[in-house]
This record gives sequence, structure tokens and C-alpha cells, in this order.
Amino acid sequence: MTASVAGGLAHELAAAVEQLRRATVQVRTRGRATGAGVLWDAGLVITNAHVVRGERATIELYDGTAAPARVVRRDLRRDLAALEFEPSGAMVSAVIRDAPPLRVGELVIAIGHPGNLVGAAALGIIHAAERAGERRPRWIQADVRLAPGFSGGPLADTAGRIVGVNTMMQGGLALAVPASAVAAWVRRAHAPVSA
Amino acid sequence: MSTVLQSLSTELADAVESAGRAVVAIHARRRIPASGVQWRPGVIVATHHTINRDENITVTLPDGTTAPVSLAGRDPSTDLAVLKLAGQNLPTAKLRSDSPPAVGELVVALGRPGPSVTASWGVMSRVDGPWRTWQGAEIDSLLRLDLAIYDGFSGGPLIDAAGRVLGINTSGLARGVPVTVPVATVERVVTELLERGTIRRAYLGIGTQPVRVPESLARKLELEGDVALLIVSVESGGPADRDGVLLGDVLLELDGAAVRDSADVLAKLGGDRVGRPLAARVIRGGQVKTFQVTPSERPTSRAA
Repeated sequence: MTASVAGGLAHELAAAVEQLRRATVQVRTRGRATGAGVLWDAGLVITNAHVVRGERATIELYDGTAAPARVVRRDLRRDLAALEFEPSGAMVSAVIRDAPPLRVGELVIAIGHPGNLVGAAALGIIHAAERAGERRPRWIQADVRLAPGFSGGPLADTAGRIVGVNTMMQGGLALAVPASAVAAWVRRAHAPVSA
Repeated sequence: MSTVLQSLSTELADAVESAGRAVVAIHARRRIPASGVQWRPGVIVATHHTINRDENITVTLPDGTTAPVSLAGRDPSTDLAVLKLAGQNLPTAKLRSDSPPAVGELVVALGRPGPSVTASWGVMSRVDGPWRTWQGAEIDSLLRLDLAIYDGFSGGPLIDAAGRVLGINTSGLARGVPVTVPVATVERVVTELLERGTIRRAYLGIGTQPVRVPESLARKLELEGDVALLIVSVESGGPADRDGVLLGDVLLELDGAAVRDSADVLAKLGGDRVGRPLAARVIRGGQVKTFQVTPSERPTSRAA
């Protein structure tokens, strides 16, 4: 009984990670791997501004294909950057979680590329969440240990929905830009560009 | 689609939510607040080291309101403090006292270093028998955690996956390493602090150092062990001084039990020993001598 629950858990976790990896890209600037990115939409990658310092970058998709990308928007205050590339055929893009609000203690999965690893996963829980009626916090705080290569990659729930973009570690906590804030930023900033 | 993974996630969040209703923020120091738990109705348990003042202490309740509390007592030796909260309808923590946590068990540390509850997760890394803190208190079992701790978590509960409290977390007992004071110890300290306001502990006013007794002397005196305690300091006017303990005495036994380190001495100095004579067996001037020492109640903020 206990063994089958743990076994099922391991299997489902591996499946959720595999699904998330498909919506995660590698970001390279001037030939160097600089971080991760979320395949937000067809031809659109969201990452951290600190991951892409120049105007151009190369993204590498889950299936190994690389594509040149250009930075179309950057927000240093939020540490976000939007990259556009020419999509080749159909591709998976991230599912964003708008609701319900995050709960403290909920499991979260982060995907990134620390060191020479591609598509590494880290498991943790939500450390702090917004309270009803309060202004939305700037960061999601997660109790999960991330290395630098996780920057710009997804923080997702157990259903594989993106809840945030991993940005930095502070005081042992992972800080991620909430997916709702990213979505609002993409709607505001990106729409005129692709129009 | 409900999966095992999603069920685990939901259950953890449920456990945090239900247990978090009994967790408050304690405002009794500068910078960030610490945490506390409503342990019994109207009784909040917190950590001694995060309470830097005896008055003007307030708590932030889970609903965001602030309420004044009064300090009922504190025990530096277990790093626990008890506060009284009047007139609030706050749930009381569900305690797990029937079965101890197991090594490898999934646990969550809760805190409320502000208006919102915070959580970190991990596993029990060590569960062991009773141990003694550096100030001499006996903790019923050693509970070590493999989890990350954050500012303000001291005084918060360690909970199991069902939201039941396993103890109070503190970074103030083992040089910043998080340990959990188990339910049984908290219960004992809360009861005594509510009754008396302090934890009675006996003390002798001696400093000791383990020494090896030379084999020839041990043979001559027909001693059983080879390690004893050299008295390296005697507090002026303290109980040991008053009863004739001399600097340089080598303590062999206390109350009929061999003493090999300071923990053996502390084990004989529970609160119930105050004023009750103990037989001390020492080597003095090459001879074995036995006499009585009577512990006094230890003044507060004194180590041994």
C-alpha cells in the first residue's frame, strides 16, 4: 500500500517534469548558456532580463532544435524579457495558472539548466502566499533550492501549470515572478509588437 | 484528474492551513517578529530567545488583527516562553502525543513572521532519546530536521502531513541548528510556567572538568571507574562552597552514581532536588571522603 503510493508519486512526478521540460527552453547569449526560458506562446519565450543582456540570443528547444531569437521587450524592474523566434511547426506552449490562488504548502516544481545539466528539476513547496484583500506580492516565495541556471525557467504546480518565472534566490528562498504578473506584462507589452 | 501527486500537494496545503490557524506572530524584539502557537486555550507557546522584553508584547492573529499578551513565564534552559492571550477565539493546536515522529517522516515547519503563515518542508533526519541542553534542561527526545529554516520561524510548530503538532521549533538551543522541542517537554514546561512562572532547577555552584584518575591511586582507593570530575571552580557563597567542597577535590560520585562528565552532575539537579542533601564522594588529599551537599534553587540566568 505504502510502496504503491510512493511508486505512483515517483512516476507522476517524473511525468510532470517531462511535460514541463517540453515548455522549457535553454537561452544562450554569444554562445554561452545563460539560463532557462518559458515557452509562453508559439514563437514567444519569457525569461529573466538578467539572462539576456544583449539584443539577440539563441534558444534551444526541448527537441534540440536551435533558433535565433531577438529581445522584443525588457523590464529591468520586474527582471523580465520577451524573446521572439520563428516557430518551426507545432509546438507545446506553457499552460498558465490564473486561478485558484497559490496556497502555502502546495508542491511546486522548478525546471532549469544548472551547470552542464539540461532540464534539471527541483521540488519544493510554496513558502508564503498572498492574503485575500492584500495587494498582490511582487514575488512568489518558494521553499526550493535553485542554482543560477534555473533563472528564467518555470515554477509550476503539480498539474504542470506555470505559476511563476524563477528569478533569484534570497535568504535561502526561491523568488519567482508570479505568472499572473507575467501574463499581464505580456498582454500589455507584447501585443503591440506582434501586431 | 486527481493524482497522487496532486493529492499530496492538496493535503500539505490543507495541513498548513488548518495548523496555521493556531500560529501567531510574536512582537517582542526589533526587526522581524517571531512565531508562537496557541497550545492550550488562551495560552501561547513561543521561544525565549525571540522575546527580548517582558512587557508591551503583542501578537498578530491569523485574521490579521493585533492583540496584547502577557508573559506568564520563561525557561531559558528549554528556550520556551509562555504568553497569555485573553478574549480571543483562536483555535488550539492539535497535538500529536501518541506516536513520536519517525526518521524519514515528511514534516513541515510553520512560522508567522508577519501577517501571513509561512512553511518549509523536509524530513525528520534524527530521532533519539532524551538529551540535555547546555543550560541543563532535559528534553524528552532529540528531534533534528532536514529542512531549511528562515527568519522568524522559531516558536512555530513542526507539523506532520496531517497537520498535527510534533513540537516547537527553535534555532536557539543548538547553535543555530534547528531542533524541535517535543510535545512532552513543552507540556511539562507549560504546566510548570503557568503554575510558578519559572522552572525550578537545583544547582551546586561548581565548575568541573573530567580527569583520569592514575591507576595506582585508583587501585589504592579501590575505585571502580578511572574517570572522575576535578572541581575547577567553586562559586563563592554558593551551595558547594557552603557545604565544604574545595577547589581541587575530585568528584567520584554524587547521590550514589558515578560522575564522568558535567551531564552526570546536571542529571542529579532536577527541580525536585532543591534543598535535599546529596551524598558527594570525592578524592581529597589522596583519601576518599564522603560528605553531604545540599543544592539550592538556581538563580535565573546562571548556567550551571
